[in-house]
Amino acid sequence: MNRTFRSFAVVTVALVVFGPLGLIIYQSFLSEAFFSPTASPSLGAYQYVLADSGFHSAFGTSLLVSFGMTVIAVPLGSLLAFLLVRTDLPWKKFLEPWLLVPIFLSPVVLAFGYVVAVGPVGFFSLWTKSLLGTIPWRLYSLYGLIVIAGLTHVPHSFLYVSSALRSLDPSVEEAARVAGAGPWRIAATVSLPLVLPSILFSSALIFLLGFELFGLPLVLGDPAGLLVLTTYLYKLTNLLGVPSYHLMAVVALSIVALTFPLVYAQRRMLRTAGRFAVIGGKGQAFRPLPLGAFRWPAVGIVLLWLLVTVLLPLIGVALRSVVSQWGEGINLAEVLTLDHFRELQNHPNLIRGIINTLLLGGIGGALSVGFYAIIGLAAHRWQSRWVSFLDYLVMLPRALPGLIVGLAFLWVFLFFKPIAPLRTTLFSLWIAYTVVWLAYGLRLISASLLQVKPELEEAARVIGAGQGKVYGDVTLPLIRFGLIGSWLLMFMMFVREYSTGVYLLGPGTEVIGSLIVSLWGTGALDLISALSVIEVVSVGLILFIALRLGVRLDA
Amino acid sequence: MNSQRFGTLVFCVLMASVSPGHTAETNPNATAAQKEGKLIIYSSTDSASVEPILQDFKALYPFLQVEYNDLNTTEIYNRFTAESASGAGTADFMWSSAMDLQIQLASKGNALTYASPESNSLPKWALWQNQAYGTTFEPVSIAYNKRLLPADAVPQSHADLVKLLKAKPDVYKEKIATFDPEKSGVGFLMMTQDAKVFPQFWDLAKGFGATGAKVYTSTGAMLEKVGSGEHTLAYNIIGSYVLLRQKKDASLGYVLPKDYTLVFSRIAFISKSARNPNAAKLFLDYLLSKRGQTVMSEKSLVYSIRTDVPGQITAAGLNKDLGKAVKPIEVNTDILAGLEQTKRLEFMKQWKEALKR
Repeated sequence: MNRTFRSFAVVTVALVVFGPLGLIIYQSFLSEAFFSPTASPSLGAYQYVLADSGFHSAFGTSLLVSFGMTVIAVPLGSLLAFLLVRTDLPWKKFLEPWLLVPIFLSPVVLAFGYVVAVGPVGFFSLWTKSLLGTIPWRLYSLYGLIVIAGLTHVPHSFLYVSSALRSLDPSVEEAARVAGAGPWRIAATVSLPLVLPSILFSSALIFLLGFELFGLPLVLGDPAGLLVLTTYLYKLTNLLGVPSYHLMAVVALSIVALTFPLVYAQRRMLRTAGRFAVIGGKGQAFRPLPLGAFRWPAVGIVLLWLLVTVLLPLIGVALRSVVSQWGEGINLAEVLTLDHFRELQNHPNLIRGIINTLLLGGIGGALSVGFYAIIGLAAHRWQSRWVSFLDYLVMLPRALPGLIVGLAFLWVFLFFKPIAPLRTTLFSLWIAYTVVWLAYGLRLISASLLQVKPELEEAARVIGAGQGKVYGDVTLPLIRFGLIGSWLLMFMMFVREYSTGVYLLGPGTEVIGSLIVSLWGTGALDLISALSVIEVVSVGLILFIALRLGVRLDA
Repeated sequence: MNSQRFGTLVFCVLMASVSPGHTAETNPNATAAQKEGKLIIYSSTDSASVEPILQDFKALYPFLQVEYNDLNTTEIYNRFTAESASGAGTADFMWSSAMDLQIQLASKGNALTYASPESNSLPKWALWQNQAYGTTFEPVSIAYNKRLLPADAVPQSHADLVKLLKAKPDVYKEKIATFDPEKSGVGFLMMTQDAKVFPQFWDLAKGFGATGAKVYTSTGAMLEKVGSGEHTLAYNIIGSYVLLRQKKDASLGYVLPKDYTLVFSRIAFISKSARNPNAAKLFLDYLLSKRGQTVMSEKSLVYSIRTDVPGQITAAGLNKDLGKAVKPIEVNTDILAGLEQTKRLEFMKQWKEALKR
């Protein structure tokens, strides 16, 4: 049974990953759309893209952006994780929900928030200009993009590192403390090195997300002609008049190709993973490390990050939602209005969009966690080449840029007849989301599973429990808090996700993301802002209640 | 909201009483459409703006369930082509502002031939082979910020704009916005038309380059930034969009250039593989009818193409104001020249050189 269960898991993952990916690979070797009757095998797409100087420079820029944001996000995220999880930092409970806002807020909205706050005529810029006579930063620049991308991806690294830190045996830090090490030294030489696997995984993931960034570079870089791979891909939809799927497929595959060295490097560095198994199963009393004199400076660091990454764009968005005009020569007090919120009522699909989003995030998120748990259990304590195969496999869908993954899912649901009837239901959207966030979700589950000491499972086995019973009665109940935490995270991911499902949406299956994009087209940024404020408040409330109820955001 | 609903209702009732038009009883397509019961539309006209049109249409034909898909032009094309090829069923009615893509689809045999009884009331250039129909008459304008640009400084023609950029490159440094023809099909179409009609077009492009103009993929982002003053002026903005925004942002203004004003038209066709062809015919007829065009002009603030619809936001109004300067982009296969690869890439290259990007 164990064997069939495991093969089933591997085959299922392979199928859901290679369905869309296989279509894209096939498309890349054709002369035009694969469903066109005149399509013929061709290497033309590779020749065009690989020889195009625009591709080279976009690839270079993406590499720089990805590298830069990883360098910013991972150390900062790890530091925040250490401060919030292992130390006696004040106001922890209050700070944590704020930290997660960039995860569920649409990147386009986030970028727009920055435009309203620190753009050339943003309120913060104008204020600075009135003080200094000049604005000492340029939002629309490569470094502006890198800094903002880096700061807004801090939560991604925070999540993984904090979850690993929570399960770290406190006695090692205790030992270091007794030996006279200060909190910074403990972080740098004991705690963080011990959670290296999570740090490396989040680095790989963030690096990959850097290649996939679309909303931020579109708003911040594109007007000035700064192209990254995804905006280059966007160009390919129009450059030749009709969307050039074959060229887009090649660009997408160039990003997919990057995952192999990434996962390989990560696996190599973790080859001696046994070293990191300091995961304590016994319930030691956990005493937070005293920060001592660093208490308030540490709070200062966290608050500064919050100010720049969360408050600035959020204030921008919130401000836009209550004014009819803004910018140079406008007295904000004279243009205050609640009309945008009232006007939202005129959008017939609004309520449905909100309900669908919550359904997809809530119920869909739970089902996805269930699916990830099954796959996670199958790979749990399995010494096999298939597990490394899975490691590579799960990263692939996330490497596909949103513009193409949406198309790929449309094609799969159109041309793969057995699942075609699902296309117009929310279910297709759920499948697409679940596949795309496979790496993310699976990692959360497997981190939970690793915390279960093998002795417990073996004890059950010794008294005659079958594998199913061991999982059902021992393993799963032990990781239930991890599962609930993962659920909350998947909820936030799904609330934000849009591009993956763009072609699967129709009247009746709208989500907030699609509403935002459709409003973007006409420039109804006032309505987008109002909608985003509602989104932040409601998701924030859910998050706050969940954390209060004792849900821990760790696996 | 209620008062607005009520207003629309009153309006509809009034319209119904004055317009003899086609009602469910007299229109031969209506009986067949009643059996279909449904209509699937793919459109790039956003749902808020189209709402009055749909409401009035539903008031006429209450037996039809209208499924309106608000998509962007690329999405419409991607969905339609893939769905048609898979045989899974697709839109009955296609209505998009990507004029070139619509004509390309129609010319490849995707459109149903149907001579709408309203055809006679349309200008000749707005019709292609009884398959593709131009439904609107939208002037392409120069939008500007009224707070930052004094009335006497606003360029009144394309030639004025060229002069302005040449005379004050520093004042307009990074203050100009326009479409990115590489990423926006609509933007490309307008610029190639400009290049055809306006001998100084490449001087204008160089002026954009010299002032470090910013390029955008959507009208919305440009208007927001003109409103805020990040840019003072946006070039090639469809007038209807500015009208809609003006309702909320009083600082937006727009000029219809006096030397020539391009006129752009959202193209509609009925899908050849439509499952509800009769319902689609009803909608096409309605959209082109005096009643539909009046709602379009008065409620949706989209310029009507019929010359018998009175008012400012109409072809009649524009023709009166601009006379010979009105230069419609014609609905025919000439438009497809822009899809020819070498010429297209040549244009992009020239554009980038002018822009120094």
